[in-house]
Amino acid sequence: MTNLDQFESVFKSSDKAVFNYVRPTYTNGLIVTDLDAVHVSDFTNQIRGYLSAIDDGGLQWAALTSDDFQSVQELLEQIEKRKPDLIVTYRHLKSKAWQWPYSLGEYLDVMTQATEVPVLVVPHPEAGRAYAQSLINTDRVMAITDHMTGDDDLVNTAMAFTADQGTCWLTHVENQAVFERYMETISKIPQVNTDIAREAIAAQLLKEPTDYIAACKTEIERHKLSVQIELLVVMGRRIDEYRQLIVDHEIDLLVMHTKTGDHLAMQGAAYPLAVDLRQIPMLMI
Amino acid sequence: MHDVPQFVTYLFAGLLVAMILCLALEEKIHAKKSVIVGGFAVITLLLAAAFGLVRPETVQILGHPVTLPVYIPGVDWAVIAIILGSSLFVDVTSKCGLFTWIAIKLTKASGGDPLRLLIYYGVMTVVFSAVLNNVTAMIIVGTLSAVSLGKLRINNKLLGFLLIEALLTNVGGLLTLISSVPNIIIGNAAGISFVDFFVTASPYVVVATAVTIFVGARVFAIKGLDSEQAKVEAAILVAGFDENDGIESESFFKFGTLMTGLFIVSMASVSVTPYVKELGMGYVALTFALIMLVRFKSTADRFYQALDWDLLAFFGCLFIVINMMEHALVLNLIGDGLKPIIALGEITGTGVLLFASAIASSVTDNIPLAAMLAKILGGMELTSDSPFWWAVIFGANLGGNITPIGSASTLVAVTIIHKNKLPMSFAGFVKVAVPFAAFQLILACAYVLLVLG
Repeated sequence: MTNLDQFESVFKSSDKAVFNYVRPTYTNGLIVTDLDAVHVSDFTNQIRGYLSAIDDGGLQWAALTSDDFQSVQELLEQIEKRKPDLIVTYRHLKSKAWQWPYSLGEYLDVMTQATEVPVLVVPHPEAGRAYAQSLINTDRVMAITDHMTGDDDLVNTAMAFTADQGTCWLTHVENQAVFERYMETISKIPQVNTDIAREAIAAQLLKEPTDYIAACKTEIERHKLSVQIELLVVMGRRIDEYRQLIVDHEIDLLVMHTKTGDHLAMQGAAYPLAVDLRQIPMLMI
Repeated sequence: MHDVPQFVTYLFAGLLVAMILCLALEEKIHAKKSVIVGGFAVITLLLAAAFGLVRPETVQILGHPVTLPVYIPGVDWAVIAIILGSSLFVDVTSKCGLFTWIAIKLTKASGGDPLRLLIYYGVMTVVFSAVLNNVTAMIIVGTLSAVSLGKLRINNKLLGFLLIEALLTNVGGLLTLISSVPNIIIGNAAGISFVDFFVTASPYVVVATAVTIFVGARVFAIKGLDSEQAKVEAAILVAGFDENDGIESESFFKFGTLMTGLFIVSMASVSVTPYVKELGMGYVALTFALIMLVRFKSTADRFYQALDWDLLAFFGCLFIVINMMEHALVLNLIGDGLKPIIALGEITGTGVLLFASAIASSVTDNIPLAAMLAKILGGMELTSDSPFWWAVIFGANLGGNITPIGSASTLVAVTIIHKNKLPMSFAGFVKVAVPFAAFQLILACAYVLLVLG
């Protein structure tokens, strides 16, 4: 029944994920800091300017200072009380651990997983690690994932944060290490032609996100949005690839998923990315 | 005609019955058709030689005497050439993406409406069965049905779709002279041209298709969408299919489309084309296959590997067995048995022959039946428009709809059904299929008697 399988594959491959454009709206932003009242005002103004792309006129900002919470529990209570639809914060609140770039800090760790609200993580104000373009505007936004196909939520969010006349990169990096591990296994199975498998699987893995991004581009053009879509679909080592892409394209904001269903930990590569890529703002949805 | 001891004739008749039983139990004995029939070819050849029924013949080829092994002249090489050429042509042409393109275009044109989808898929099954063959048609339409109904989240209708499509493959197989192997064998033996075959069979195919789809929609409760919201949602879902995804090269797609059209026209006009009519349809099929292979000239061998060698070897061996049966006067014996049926006259005799052919085809392969009856009826000097030929053609094709083992395409349908984890037993298939098959056979009988008689 080789033919049966062949035709089934052709039809399954022709079944493409369709992109539906829906612009998310933000009305209630909460800036969580460990700054004092004097410095928090400057920081808030900087964030407002930076995120002007999502402000359609109805976005209200509130800010928490160091005195507003003394524990993770109190912070969660503040969030619960204020019901924001976007949180802006940075790593290592109320800690000096920002000097060692090996974790996110207990507040951010819990905040990203215990709430349903998207969290925008910006470079630490004191760390001095931010790239020059960081926190100025969002005219170069990059959505990153290892499974772009069908992820309308990620694309719509990235689009919403991209400033008018800006560029939105839709980036899919297929994990080279995982691919190689499977290829190594396939190379030990006599019934499977290793060369054909390598070529066909790699092509199919990259084709699906490419097709989906093409569908996104068509739909966005149909809505006559003034944002340019760029496609980046590659196979590689994810953190290295993303770091290089950020530098190459002078990215202002990264957008990625961190929550998966009812899992307690951040999904897949999200945690190492969140720890590693601390030079530019990162939106965790 | 040579003298053959009666016990030899009965011995060979017994071997023929044993071969037919083995073919009917092919799945149970886990042996391919070619191996089963090949085994019987070896035995019958040896016995025929031992009893002195056959001896090498010397024939004149281009003025030179050539001694042929006894198993060579018995094979109908014209039929083998048509099957080999058509299979190769269809296999290469299907790589251009034309058939999947048509299938996906129709899926999108349906807007995801289940009833419209059933009508489109039903008609497509018939046309693909006629142009390609019923197995390829069932594979294409069956797999697409599973994918598209899954996308539309109406998997509960898949069983109905697959059964209706399976029943329509054998109806579509009646449309042209090259749509099924029994057509090729009987058509060649009767001297029916491609055009005459199409003109004679097409009215029946149109009516049988329409009624099968209409009744099938009622039986399996396949209805159109009634709310506007449901229509919009279904249309969005099927819009995700990309008909161009399977097309690797636009130029090859256009070339394949052009060649498919030319192939049909050429096959239809063989009998009136100077020079080509001397060479026959097998020549045309092989020539078109070769033209398509030029596109893949450096990798043509992969298409040879993809050929259904089991089927081709089966045909070759089957012709040898039938030839040995002819030498052992078994065909005369069966012909004597058929004489009372023929003697019933064109009305009753035709009807009985049609239903008898259908019942025989429902439990075993219709190709040995067609090959045997072609020899027997050929010996009766019937004219090419005799309704007896058509009785065998309709019976041999439609009989495949009675049981899941009646034809290769119904077997494919059952495979797809089981692959999709749908419940369907042998008895379950028969229970659903028999009313449809009975209707199609009664309609065929009426058509042969009233229109062709």
